[in-house]
Amino acid sequence: MVMRSLDINKLNIRIRDIARFYYEKGRMPTFSEIGDLTGLKSKSTVSKLINSLRKLDVLDKDKTGRLIPKSICYPVKILGTVEAGFPIPAEEELADTISLDKLLIQNPTATFMLKVSGDSMSDAGILPGDMVIVDRGQAPRNNDIVIAEVDGQWTMKYLKKRGDSITLMPANQKYKPIKPKNELNIAGVVTAVIRKYR
Amino acid sequence: MMLLTIQSWPKAILHIDADAFFASCEQAVNPQLKGKPVTTGRERGIVAAASYEAKARGVKRGMRTFEVKRICPDAIILPSDYETYSLFSVRMFEVLRRFSPDVEEYSIDEAFADLTGLRQVYHGSYESIAGKIQDTVKKELGINVSIGISLSKVLAKIGSKHKKPGGLVLIPGRDIHFYLNGLSMGDVWGIGPNTAAYLNKLGINTALEFARKDEGFIQRHLHKPHLEIWHELNGRSIYPVVSGSKSSYQSISKARTFTPASNDEIFVYAQLSKNLENACIKARRHKLAAIRLIIFLRGQDFRNHAVEIRLSSPTSYPVDMFSALRDGFYHIYRHDALYRQTGVVLAGLVAEDRIQMTLFDDPVRIEKMSKIYCAVDAISGKFGKHAIQHASSLPAKLQAQHEGERGDVPRRKTELFKGENTRQRVGLPVLNIKI
Repeated sequence: MVMRSLDINKLNIRIRDIARFYYEKGRMPTFSEIGDLTGLKSKSTVSKLINSLRKLDVLDKDKTGRLIPKSICYPVKILGTVEAGFPIPAEEELADTISLDKLLIQNPTATFMLKVSGDSMSDAGILPGDMVIVDRGQAPRNNDIVIAEVDGQWTMKYLKKRGDSITLMPANQKYKPIKPKNELNIAGVVTAVIRKYR
Repeated sequence: MMLLTIQSWPKAILHIDADAFFASCEQAVNPQLKGKPVTTGRERGIVAAASYEAKARGVKRGMRTFEVKRICPDAIILPSDYETYSLFSVRMFEVLRRFSPDVEEYSIDEAFADLTGLRQVYHGSYESIAGKIQDTVKKELGINVSIGISLSKVLAKIGSKHKKPGGLVLIPGRDIHFYLNGLSMGDVWGIGPNTAAYLNKLGINTALEFARKDEGFIQRHLHKPHLEIWHELNGRSIYPVVSGSKSSYQSISKARTFTPASNDEIFVYAQLSKNLENACIKARRHKLAAIRLIIFLRGQDFRNHAVEIRLSSPTSYPVDMFSALRDGFYHIYRHDALYRQTGVVLAGLVAEDRIQMTLFDDPVRIEKMSKIYCAVDAISGKFGKHAIQHASSLPAKLQAQHEGERGDVPRRKTELFKGENTRQRVGLPVLNIKI
């Protein structure tokens, strides 16, 4: 039993080392770098370690054999605290957390940012200076907030579909709803708004 | 016409080439630029990329800015935003990887992918797979790409170039000769102007004439790389698609242009010093060390003056190279000349951990330097590049890189969000739409 908790402790330290590498370099280490990090000399022990971490869903391998982060990339810890000195399998807790990046970005290759300048969506909680996350990869649905070009003008509004008719609704009484006359081109769907205070 | 090969798809290699890439990225983040003549490279005083609208007006790559203004007065001339272009580049490769695990990142706007055998997976032809790739890039990134698919890399490149922009050209085995007929040798990937001129003397003008020669002829008159190209043109794949991010380098080069041109010795040297620091940062990131240092200065007259120096042992620490840099600099620097660009090249790269220490090396000093630069890199990681740097580079930091209108920096570097700074920004492209 003592042996077992020692093992888990060691594993935790290794996970922490790999996680630190990931945060510092912004990428997963290679097999040989894991060898350097953990002090494991032979390739087969490194690959054994990786296999056990894969089973724990801490990381995974892609088709080309490169490592991809799983629970190791989730820095925001939501669950409880760790008692000092007591070996706790942190990966179980970390498996239920996601990073802010993942929370805010669904399609990494199709996501753009946009700084808001107008106040036409203020009642929806989007103010001038805010940063909105725009996804070009998602199909716009009714009631989505969209970035659209209407008859040559760019705007951010609620998309309201009723049958064949489409209206772009502001969230501010000062502005009128827009009904596209000739052309409507939806550039993307707003999936999040970010406001940073300090 | 006689066929070069009868097999249609023994292999399927895709080449993707983004159309007018830098200019297209600018149009993608700023829809108001769509349909308008746009060029990038304002800070360098030349056209780095021109949109198809600008090309239609006669604007060409490498043209000087004042010439652009003359032939196309309404051109929108933008400063380069390499950060945004790089984000688009990575995304284009990511899209490709969704379709095939074998993707070779060839340059910022080009890649190869091996599609062999993927028809079953996607229940469609190679053409339909390529069409899906094109559509996905267009939908998610908002840029156009041209695609060529054929039996080898050399042929795939001929395909992607055949019908730009937005082209999708398949060259199956039995159609190769159609595409090689009339294609001049200089337009074949890997054939330089000198080889093309030499081949002309041998009576070979087109790629088809070249491909039809027998192997003995090629071996008698040419070298191994040309024999490989000959095989590739005949539909026999020699060059593999090498997947993975680009991590092996022959050499690392860093160059910077500045305006106005300068004859201020300290300033020009500082530019060189900064290039050396940048090149060393890149070398350390890839765990490489250089044994040769090449220095060049480009004058106002666009002439290059260069010198190559052999270092006493491989290194990736500027401090080990400063004396060589200084010697080299004074060897080519002339007080009466004006300079507009400096650059360094680190060559003879070897893996950091394979450096042999010589009898004359001081291991204590080497260890110390390694610690110092580890700290420098860690500080840069936290606070941004050049948060800490050598004093000799300082004048390059204190004086603006470019004066006047060419000093324009891309919008992304000035329109910051809270929490961003001039060195570190969120890794997402920013749309330039006023809403």
